[in-house]
Amino acid sequence: MKKLNRRNFMKLAAGGGSALAAGLGFSQGALAGSIKLQAGGRDFSPTTEKELQAIPTACWQCVTRDAMMGYVEDGRLVKLEGHPDSIRTLGKLCAKGQAGVNHVYFPDRILYPMLRVGKRGEHKWKRVSWDEALDLMASKLKPLLDAGTPELFMYQYGRHKGSQSSIMHDFMDAFGSHTIGTHTSVCEGPKWVGQESLWGGMYDNWDYDHTDFVVNFGSNQFETHTNHIPTSQRLISAMVDRNVPLYTFDVRLSNTAAKSTEWIPINVGMDGLVMLSMVNVIMNEKLFRKDHLKYMRVSPDYHASDDEKIAAIKEHVAKFTPEFAAKESGVPADKIKQIARGYAKAKSACLIGYRGTVMHYHGADQERAAMLLSAITNNLDRKGGRVMGVGAGWKTPHSPKAKVQKGLDIVNGFPGEAAFPTHQVSQQNLPMIKDGQNGRPKVYWSSCNNQAFINGNNKEAEAVLKDESLIPFYVNSNIVYDESSQYADLILPDVTYLERWDTEDMVSPTGVAEFYIRQPLIKPLGEAKDQGEIFAGLAKRLGIKLVYSTKEEYVRQACEMTPGVKEAGGFEYMKKHGVWHDKNAKPNFGFYEAKVDVSGDGVILDEKTGVYWNYKKAGVSEAEAKSKGYLGVEGAKNAYVAQDIEGTPRKAYPPNTSFVKSGLLDFYSDNFAAKGFPPFPTYTPIPEHQKMGKDDLHLTTYKVAVHTHSRTAHCKWLSEIKHDNPAWINSKTAADRGIKDGDRIKVSSDLGEITTTAHVTEGIIPGIIAISHHFGRQQSGIYGSGKSSPTPGGAAADPDAKNMWWDKHGVHPNSIIPNSSDPISGGQRWMDTVVRVAKA
Amino acid sequence: MGINWKELADNAKSRSDIYGLLSTVFREEPSRDLIKEMRSPRMSETFTGLGVELGERFYTDPESKVAEELAIEYTRLFVGPGSHISAHESIFSEMDGDMGGLWGVKTVEVKKFIESTGLDYGKGFTGLPDHISVELEFMQRLADWETDMWHQRDHEQSEYCLTVQHQFLEQHLLCWVNQFCDAVVDQAEIPFYRIMAELTKQYMEFERQSIATDTAA
Repeated sequence: MKKLNRRNFMKLAAGGGSALAAGLGFSQGALAGSIKLQAGGRDFSPTTEKELQAIPTACWQCVTRDAMMGYVEDGRLVKLEGHPDSIRTLGKLCAKGQAGVNHVYFPDRILYPMLRVGKRGEHKWKRVSWDEALDLMASKLKPLLDAGTPELFMYQYGRHKGSQSSIMHDFMDAFGSHTIGTHTSVCEGPKWVGQESLWGGMYDNWDYDHTDFVVNFGSNQFETHTNHIPTSQRLISAMVDRNVPLYTFDVRLSNTAAKSTEWIPINVGMDGLVMLSMVNVIMNEKLFRKDHLKYMRVSPDYHASDDEKIAAIKEHVAKFTPEFAAKESGVPADKIKQIARGYAKAKSACLIGYRGTVMHYHGADQERAAMLLSAITNNLDRKGGRVMGVGAGWKTPHSPKAKVQKGLDIVNGFPGEAAFPTHQVSQQNLPMIKDGQNGRPKVYWSSCNNQAFINGNNKEAEAVLKDESLIPFYVNSNIVYDESSQYADLILPDVTYLERWDTEDMVSPTGVAEFYIRQPLIKPLGEAKDQGEIFAGLAKRLGIKLVYSTKEEYVRQACEMTPGVKEAGGFEYMKKHGVWHDKNAKPNFGFYEAKVDVSGDGVILDEKTGVYWNYKKAGVSEAEAKSKGYLGVEGAKNAYVAQDIEGTPRKAYPPNTSFVKSGLLDFYSDNFAAKGFPPFPTYTPIPEHQKMGKDDLHLTTYKVAVHTHSRTAHCKWLSEIKHDNPAWINSKTAADRGIKDGDRIKVSSDLGEITTTAHVTEGIIPGIIAISHHFGRQQSGIYGSGKSSPTPGGAAADPDAKNMWWDKHGVHPNSIIPNSSDPISGGQRWMDTVVRVAKA
Repeated sequence: MGINWKELADNAKSRSDIYGLLSTVFREEPSRDLIKEMRSPRMSETFTGLGVELGERFYTDPESKVAEELAIEYTRLFVGPGSHISAHESIFSEMDGDMGGLWGVKTVEVKKFIESTGLDYGKGFTGLPDHISVELEFMQRLADWETDMWHQRDHEQSEYCLTVQHQFLEQHLLCWVNQFCDAVVDQAEIPFYRIMAELTKQYMEFERQSIATDTAA
């Protein structure tokens, strides 16, 4: 190119001017209005006082969803911190939460709708307008409606809670598709299934504010719990202020174990066995409390006496002596006895469990053992104990449902895979689509869900997403280009949680519900759009009527509909304050004891189960009700009124989930027995572990404090703190294989092999290897993957990347972990994989 | 010697038109009409005169095909998904340790600067305030206003407008446009954006020298 001079500059100007004059420039300029320059006019200086706003909103880094404050300076989000008025968080916010700012402003962020123009995975895209994107989606969805096959539209989500979830279900109901995939089975599904089979509900919390003793099985409470900030700070306060002991059973010296009164190393998959041996000690040493027995069913007999129940429990756990448990679990018998005694004798005590306990073969049954330990010591739903979580019960608007409602049977696992998949078997969604026996969706829309990263055998998931013959049209809503969106046909730019409206409802550790909202701190960047707005845009094109046109309107309606919030000032109050709770509300300790009026029309007592139920509500005649009984009438559980407890109708534990049960805690479960599973909590050895060879090791995974599973790798503040995941291996196990700290090692399973680095430590039991599951990103921006671009030689958008001082990005263990489900719950068995480890 | 009002106005108008053209190029994927105009004899002559080679296919392929290819190239270069050249000042400018993020301190400065002149961001504009095309458009608007002032023989306002333009160039556009253009030249796979980046870089150098001359004068 020649050097520009005045002469050719004038020529270029003439050309440019003619193009502009002909209206051939941009159809609409960025700038509006007219110049009003005046000498000495309005001054401008970045050093003058800036407008600063503090806006209440809610976090969404993890499911804890803390209420928080966002600080906005000159339209720019500059800081996030805890909401000082939140009764849940007490004004705290974790590192992940504070790094939320990174989501908004990272340069790799997707800001415009993008249409694939190359082959799937070729990374070739064209920006399209929202109208084009929505028209395209509607053109794929409308034929499904016209053909009466709405189920061929599948919505797959990961983290959707509060109104993000309810508005999606509202849209899907209005469309008529029940083909909705979740992610809970890869998270903690077995825990909930175990609880639901007993409690009739789920989500345990712990009253640390009043507890005297805490026993923890396999939960990294201080780093990564699903109700992290609200619970961990209370537990720490209990330990520091009141000297409450915390005993942590774990295969690994997590930071929770390290901060505990004592870390008790335990063999993989033995949590339930140790719990049952603690029950054994407590029952045989008569340390149990009778209070809860009347709410427990421990044998087929619904009307057993306390003595009969005590005898039955003793019989069930007789073989699980501390000595037997010690042999299997590696925990000394005396230690089991010591902790069992301390736990039972404490005025109140909490029993914690989480992924380490339940993500196993028969993981749901391990949770039932945890509930048993809580119940026999009267630490269930009592002050200072394990309590059923209380969250905000928002009322939400509902649009008219479609007349045709159908769903593909592809979200609950393969036939016979899981007996009670009440939280689905999401790790098998894509394998089932590949299999095809139960049909395949024609339109697959995923949101906040990285299927090709989060599941076991994630390479298979990747291959399914890539295959157009299996998934003809794939839409992905996202803020970042990740392992799944790279195969989409259409990428929709999602808003971050800091740019959207929501009602929120996460459980409060105080036992008093906290209602809170999420509101935009800033306008969405670029053309990012909330799912709620997209639903409205699609509905318009599909001729579907929704009762809202924006997410803000949806949230506004919810605020005006919800008792308590409405009276406090509704939407305007929530916008200003962010949080609300009923100051007169009391924790729901002992809710099960509430007396119930059973004089209502249609209410009868079922003699067999002791359940009061309303046959009219169940839609049957009195004669049929009496002849078939409560358990014999389909849907009778929805007409449950009360449980007869020693002659008094009480609320007890209503069957609020899909489990058909009485109001008793079903420690003896007909549901389990009918499906061939042990009706009473027991110890079931993990099949793979029984066949292990001399050199085989267990593989377990875990989470770290500063990352979510798959949504934070692009947050540079967090990736700077944690970006690598060397494999933890005990010094003895390492020495047996000639492995030294820092050596490269190969970890192989029947599915494949990965290479990583050994972290040789005494902080893990011998015979296993532990690898966290956040890293080894293929995509997700330069901070996550280390790659400047999905295509070789591409540009690095972020000049700050030159300041990256680390060059390690870890390895992803999921590629060698098969999708294998707990046959009870369908939960992914993350902790059961057997591997071989050798020096690379 | 008296002021040559017309020459000054014409000069400002020329600058405005060039800024307008460059702003258009970087704002979004080129429309078929724009491609048609850029392939017109007048523009192709201009480009030839500048020694600019947009490539044979730019002139011979059907407009629809050129538009499609440029749309894909524009997306790859400036939109993503994944890493790309983020065409925003805040990405290229470090200030108070704030670097490499969208909507940075510089973004706010640009927004305030632009709004302090009476302009506002249009409701239909969905980009960020410090996008390269916005800064170029802002210069177009200022030079256009300057043109009017020269036509009105308002020397004081014209000079003041020039001062504002110089400030904006020195404080913002000139601070990062070279880096941006170099990145585009480096990453472009087809000639169009590489040539436009080179042209932009040259023109901005021309502007830089003009400021220096004015200041010296």
